[in-house]
Amino acid sequence: MDKILYGLKNNRSFAIASFFVALLILIAAAATLIAPYDPYEAIMANAYLPPSSEHLFGTDKLGRDNFSRVLFGAAYSLSSVLLLVVLIFIVGTSLGVIAGYFGGKTDIVIMRVADMMISFPGMILAIAIAGILGGSLINAMIALIIVTWTKYARLARSMVLKVKERDFVTAAIVNGGKPLHILWQHILPNILPLMVITAAADIGAMMMELAGLSFLGFGSQPPAPEWGLMLNEGRQQLQTAPWLMVFPGLAIFLTVVVFNLWGDALRDVLDPRQEDN
Amino acid sequence: MKKIYKSAAVATMMGLLTFAVAGCGDDKATPVSNEKLKFGVTNFADSLEPTDNFFGWVVMRYGLGECLSRFDDKMNVVPWLAESWQISDDKLTWTFKINDKAVFSNGDKLTAEIAKESIERAFKNNTRAQSFFTYAEITADGQNLMIRTDKPVPTLPGMLADPLFIIIDTKVTDRDYAKEGPICTGPYMVKSYSKSKAEMVANPNYWDGTVPFKAVDIPTIDDPNTRAMALQSGEIDFAINIAAGDLDLFKNDKYKISEIASLRTVLAQMNMNEGRPLADPKVRAALISCLDRETYNKVLLKDTFIPGKAPVPPSLDYGFDQLNDPNSYNVERAKNLLAEAGWQDTNGDGYVDKNGKNMELDFVYYSGRAELPLYAEATQADAKKIGIKVNMKNVDYNVLDPMRRNGEFDLIISNILTANSGDPEVYLNWYWKTNVNGSQPQNSTGYSNPEFDALSDQLAVEFDPAKRRDLMIKMQQILLNDGVALFFGYPKTNMVSKASVQDADIKPADYYWLTKDIKPAQ
Repeated sequence: MDKILYGLKNNRSFAIASFFVALLILIAAAATLIAPYDPYEAIMANAYLPPSSEHLFGTDKLGRDNFSRVLFGAAYSLSSVLLLVVLIFIVGTSLGVIAGYFGGKTDIVIMRVADMMISFPGMILAIAIAGILGGSLINAMIALIIVTWTKYARLARSMVLKVKERDFVTAAIVNGGKPLHILWQHILPNILPLMVITAAADIGAMMMELAGLSFLGFGSQPPAPEWGLMLNEGRQQLQTAPWLMVFPGLAIFLTVVVFNLWGDALRDVLDPRQEDN
Repeated sequence: MKKIYKSAAVATMMGLLTFAVAGCGDDKATPVSNEKLKFGVTNFADSLEPTDNFFGWVVMRYGLGECLSRFDDKMNVVPWLAESWQISDDKLTWTFKINDKAVFSNGDKLTAEIAKESIERAFKNNTRAQSFFTYAEITADGQNLMIRTDKPVPTLPGMLADPLFIIIDTKVTDRDYAKEGPICTGPYMVKSYSKSKAEMVANPNYWDGTVPFKAVDIPTIDDPNTRAMALQSGEIDFAINIAAGDLDLFKNDKYKISEIASLRTVLAQMNMNEGRPLADPKVRAALISCLDRETYNKVLLKDTFIPGKAPVPPSLDYGFDQLNDPNSYNVERAKNLLAEAGWQDTNGDGYVDKNGKNMELDFVYYSGRAELPLYAEATQADAKKIGIKVNMKNVDYNVLDPMRRNGEFDLIISNILTANSGDPEVYLNWYWKTNVNGSQPQNSTGYSNPEFDALSDQLAVEFDPAKRRDLMIKMQQILLNDGVALFFGYPKTNMVSKASVQDADIKPADYYWLTKDIKPAQ
């Protein structure tokens, strides 16, 4: 925490990126207040209106206000992506820590399963899983968790193996520390910074993958205002109503860029390479 | 790693922009010569075996196969490989006279014997043949083909126009029909075929005039947007079914648009089985009444669909204008009907409920056709206005069919050809005749009306066209009164060609695409 506060004061790029992240979250949180229309309200006589002062981003195929939908999409997409990253982080890290600390058969089982998952191309496997489960946001998230946890598990395991050899862990074991206590008090704090950085840098990628699944019809279902889904819905009108693709596309682009820059800057702030100094 | 994602994000955006810019580029219009024609299509067939699945459609669409009869622009049955036909006095034997000029592309003469074997082959290989008619005996004598049936089959000549009954040279047995196609009588022959691309060449022995192009390439471009772009860029010379949104791009003198009302109906069947909310006729009437079908078709689909009302589209003359839809658009009436049926929003969540349960309807649809998700979403939005919650279930087409048969839906969408045999008899029976132990597998909705069934039985043996028409109008009125389905609209279909292609006209029947009439403009 101290490092982050220090970073906000002294690392300009981190401060700027953090400002934009905060702004995004604020927009998402205040979507209901900012949005001029109900994003679900279909006034079909107004379908395909180009951007104007009344409808900033135009209207979509059912006459819904595109600006309101992009705003609500921020809340919808951001919250689901943040939840997704937290879930992946928890699942992956805990499995990795267990494998690394206990070793032996537990390690073999967990890591071989992880190896199996890695041997498939990620997005394709996610499409297959989401396809079998049926299209919904929850199922798309489950598919992405199944595909992505291995990265965190492998990273966490290798860090645990390194930390486990340290004298303070041995001392804790000699003092009769229970595994849970040792993991929680001595190991986790030491691996956490790198894990958090990985997670932060993953937000952008996860956002793209979740939007990708929705675009393909395996994620959010209509009428949800999800950016990936909106892209797909606008695709048919690419030449005649381009605003239906441009604005959700721009929203995804900006969000991903902001979170990636923030993830990069966060790494500089928390740089684990300096922890030995 | 994240660098990669970042560049991926940038690349996507750049790609998107390039795409948009490419669309704005100049339309290239290289004139078409008689050397080669390029035709952009949608294709579902991975084989050219005409009796397999619905693949016969593709055999006919690509100018390869022909039938004994065909439908003209008004859906009248007219001679094709058979030059005439007549029925015996006992109404049980049809005699077809095969055109003496007809030859296959390998030079073999088409005899009644070959036609007989060809039709028998269709019956042997595909059970769908029996849903048209069953025969007692087929006999051949020179150029005369006799088909005897146990019951009178008034529309038999029209049924034989279905691509399932394409006439193939049964003397040839050493071909791989899936990849090379059968030997047929059409203006073009297969040079190579795969689902993604077909190369056709002129049939040197064509029996019915000259073949205008030496070669025709038929790439499969399933995405409507990509198809439109391929036509703009000159990659293809003409295309089938340009989407509603893109049609405006071709309304200039570089292109010709041929558009007609098709014989298709887009409808959603309603599940009226015991325990389903739609079992109550008032709820069904309310749901139909709340849909603003006029706007769906005129605004959302930009007038490329005709607003729906009755089972049979107005392009077929079966009383569309005289039929009365008791459930035309009226939101107030819909709300009242729901209230009368005991559905009210007692907990204030915006959805009507009864006995503490909200009304929720599962709407099963697929997105292979661009209009289906739109109708489904529009229904969801309009139903919400009267307090009915519609849950969307987007499934693959292969999943949809078993769901229909098993009745796993409240609403299920279809885009169907209504005139399989030249008139809508088969279609009306398929969807609404009482399903007795699986006799009508398409009707899993539980709909059964003895009055309708009685008319259907009369229709089955009626030869007089005027009486047949009357019967089918009465049948439709019963369906409208009972509120059996949401009839969304009737698609117009189109073919868009470069101005240098002549007579690329879309026909009402869905399987005449590449014909001998399409030629380079003079």
